[in-house]
Amino acid sequence: MDVTLAGVGTRLGGRWVVDGVDATPPPGRLTGLLGPNGAGKSTLLRLVAGLLAPERGAVLVGDQPVASMARRGRARRIALLEQESSSSVPLTVREVVALGRIPYRSLWGSDAGDEAVDRALVAADATHLADRPWSTLSGGERQRVHVARALAQEPEVLLLDEPTNHLDVSAQLSLLAFVRDLGTTTVAALHDLNLAAAFCEHVVVLSAGRLAAAGHPREVLRPALLREVYGVDADVLEHPRTGRPVIAFHEPAPAAAVPAPVSAGEP
Amino acid sequence: MTATTTTTTRDTGSTAPPSHGGRRRAPLPVLLLVGLGVLVATVLVTVTIGPADLAVGEVARSIATHVGLDVVPVSPLHDAIVWDLRLPRVLTAAAVGAGLALAGAVMQSLTRNPLADPYLLGLSSGASLGAVAVLVVGVAVLLPVAAFAGAMAALVATLALARSNGTLTPGRAVLAGLAVSQLAAAGTSFVIFWTATGDSYREILSWLLGSLAGATWASVAIAGIAVLVVGSVVVLAGQRLDAFAFGDTAAAALGIDVDRTRWALMTLVALLTGAMVAVSGAIGFVGLVLPHAVGALTGPAHRRLLPVAALAGAVFLVWADTLARTVFDPRELPVGIVTALIGVPVFAVLLRRGRGSAWT
Repeated sequence: MDVTLAGVGTRLGGRWVVDGVDATPPPGRLTGLLGPNGAGKSTLLRLVAGLLAPERGAVLVGDQPVASMARRGRARRIALLEQESSSSVPLTVREVVALGRIPYRSLWGSDAGDEAVDRALVAADATHLADRPWSTLSGGERQRVHVARALAQEPEVLLLDEPTNHLDVSAQLSLLAFVRDLGTTTVAALHDLNLAAAFCEHVVVLSAGRLAAAGHPREVLRPALLREVYGVDADVLEHPRTGRPVIAFHEPAPAAAVPAPVSAGEP
Repeated sequence: MTATTTTTTRDTGSTAPPSHGGRRRAPLPVLLLVGLGVLVATVLVTVTIGPADLAVGEVARSIATHVGLDVVPVSPLHDAIVWDLRLPRVLTAAAVGAGLALAGAVMQSLTRNPLADPYLLGLSSGASLGAVAVLVVGVAVLLPVAAFAGAMAALVATLALARSNGTLTPGRAVLAGLAVSQLAAAGTSFVIFWTATGDSYREILSWLLGSLAGATWASVAIAGIAVLVVGSVVVLAGQRLDAFAFGDTAAAALGIDVDRTRWALMTLVALLTGAMVAVSGAIGFVGLVLPHAVGALTGPAHRRLLPVAALAGAVFLVWADTLARTVFDPRELPVGIVTALIGVPVFAVLLRRGRGSAWT
């Protein structure tokens, strides 16, 4: 499904957290949303999900503005997974995945057995977890089940906010390979630039709420951009097997132009 | 996709037997039928308990006569004890118990706070202030009306305060409720301190602790209608409550109008609680403990939890009130003392078992 961000902007607490961002994530592919902490990644995802209304510009899914969609209809087309937070949910995995069917049930409708839940469990390779209590899952299993919940929404657009947080390296790789191969238009906010370089077809880089660059990782993730946006010194190498970019960071030089907050935070 | 395979294998390999999740849960219709059966039996049996000795058969015949069935009538005295004295009280207890359990369960979900109870938003304090004002000052309104008005005034104040800077978050609602509650409690203390004399003290105390001693058929109607109407709506809205499990943003992403749903449900619960307080004062611990105890049986999905909790609350409060009126016969205990005496140990057991990783 075509997603278009046209000059999207919104303020939170009077500050433009997202400011005039244009982007077109490629349909059916995985797009990485990059940028330092506070660059506006989470806010942008909420704008795309329609949970915030843009003050400027518009987000289009197909040719319909997300802000004008009815709530439930929107939830059938766009799924958002937040950063993992709650570990104390007293539900089983199947119950968690079934939450994704809520947009499809009539207002007071029944929650009779739903094949979409089984399909989502199979698709996310989580069937073996179905009867486990949520609280007993590992971090990787939780993310997998969250993805299954999102898939149960049968979305055209999947939005993931730092899905690899708190996962070990193997779980990170398998999760991103899995969402890349879904064939659903997916936008994932990522911190790990090497993961983005390895799995994303397209990356969108934000800096202080504005679009810094967008395009294929090979063209976007260059040393100059990394210095400008992240304030780090890095070399970009080529992966010996895949040919994709691999970023090798350098220790900051003592006199390097490090962003102010880092040194200000030190005692 | 090699990585996927690796992870899957590892996950499967390390899967420990589930500690409690693999447990089969009884089907909902079975739970409801059993609960309903227990409730009917409870009503029939508890009506026989008291100073005048009655048999279950007499109770059934008295009820049958009044609903127009052609059975052998019981003696007029026994009929009056059943129909005019004990049955209204037992049925009020059942309705109030069901209402408190429902209200507690909904509040706990809406605020994502396992310690939430039906009185959270300052409702009981507001109702008590209204009731005490009537009892002591002699304001010429019926006591339940005054209690209901007090509860609603407290609710409006709480929601207005919580809402003062925009959205209604659970945390703000709880804090605002606390402030309103303190204010109303101070008002109650002032009224008592300034004006109460002699007998009105005992009457006030029984209000503050909760009592079903004054229950009439009017109480049955007030509490019963409130439970049936509000109860049906919140049970039907159960899956929307489920959507809040992962927080407000997750609920919004599932197409729920978070703010409006929270407002609507809180207001409904407050109306329900107001009706309960109006007929029985503020009875503690039912709304706090019952949902947790029942959750261990039904699991947390609200479609299952809410109706079963309502039945369990009804049975529980009927028995608690029966104890309250018989243990120290002819003196009566306020039922709130009994529910606390039973509720606190139950709560302690649940806490020790750590049911609800929700409490960590």
